[in-house]
Amino acid sequence: MSAELVTINTEWLSDCSGCHIAIVDLHEKILAVLESVRIQRCPVLTDIKDYPPAKIGLVSGAIRNEHDKQAAIEMRNSCDLIIAWGSCAVFGGPAGAGNVHTREEIADAVYLNNKTTITTTLPNREISPLEVSVTPIDKVIEVDLYLAGCPPHPTYIFDALLSLLEGRTPKATKESVCAKCKRQMKKSDVSEIRQHTDGIPDPDLCFLSQGYICMGSATIDRCLSPCPTNGVPCTGCAGATMQILTEPNRDIRTEIADRMARMTKIPREEIIKEIEKSSKSHYSYTMASTMVSEKPTFLIKKWIHEANEDYEAAHG
Amino acid sequence: MSTAQTVEIHVHEQACRGCEMCVDICPTKVFGFDEDKRLCTVGHAQDCIACLSCAYICPSGAITHSNYHQVKNFYRDLEFSKRMGKFL
Repeated sequence: MSAELVTINTEWLSDCSGCHIAIVDLHEKILAVLESVRIQRCPVLTDIKDYPPAKIGLVSGAIRNEHDKQAAIEMRNSCDLIIAWGSCAVFGGPAGAGNVHTREEIADAVYLNNKTTITTTLPNREISPLEVSVTPIDKVIEVDLYLAGCPPHPTYIFDALLSLLEGRTPKATKESVCAKCKRQMKKSDVSEIRQHTDGIPDPDLCFLSQGYICMGSATIDRCLSPCPTNGVPCTGCAGATMQILTEPNRDIRTEIADRMARMTKIPREEIIKEIEKSSKSHYSYTMASTMVSEKPTFLIKKWIHEANEDYEAAHG
Repeated sequence: MSTAQTVEIHVHEQACRGCEMCVDICPTKVFGFDEDKRLCTVGHAQDCIACLSCAYICPSGAITHSNYHQVKNFYRDLEFSKRMGKFL
């Protein structure tokens, strides 16, 4: 019987392990998957340290250091089909913030002049040297399928695996986080941007209508919209929608601003400026991907510099 | 030579948030709005010129079109297009 099972390897690179935990969140549904697959290498479940040959390889995490690069290559060599699993593997994820700084700046801030601990030396053993830049895994290996999400909701992982086993197209759509959010979008007279700490948002009304910046409309739904449903504006963890990725003239900040300016009385340029002020947060999941970073309008170093200057001027 | 064909517009009602942006942006006034259900409605599909403005502005991605001539994005290279075809 075991000869007929589809073999799976998983590997985590620079990530938080959330994607692997999402497998556990399949709960009893995992039994349906296990009827058809045999999980071999899986850092959270098995003690297999090498890379046995497998049919499917799930790789989560970004390429941040030399170890990540080697592990990704090992996965590619051992698996017939590689799925970039989660936003770090697909877009680079939050580790991509490292691309705003040089490796020397990072080492200095973390080890040499750390503000919260006393350290004076750089580690030279046991820690893998950093790559020049943070990249999604497809910079290093050929990827067969991409499943974004932070982590992808177990529903999507389950469906992706089952569809592969059954040889059908997955149900994942190109709809955004708004598609599953139950808040109503209504035009309002709000004329000022509100910070997330300002007041208590109306639970039935869209955040954009209330003046709160929410990334739902610029983010692909791979989550079933738990954050806006529970009172938290979307932070864009599943990455940008397909129209932002495919169209050079569309960008995360302009897409949000276009819609928010139509729902409120806040000028479009003001919203764009506000998003640029906290660009490391708003682009945190996608900035390492060339699909976003190579857009001619993506000027994150300039935005960070301007935000720092504004801060210095205000708090001098 | 006639190339006449009727563009079909599909609205995923569960995904519509009732923002009315499609109603505002459509150059040929294809959409109406159901105030009771707070959902957009397709009133005059025959007037659609398939500019896709509604599909792009829709915050949910709830509007899709079929039966229209698709203009290829030649500004994208082959490698990029290949990658996009692999997204789940």
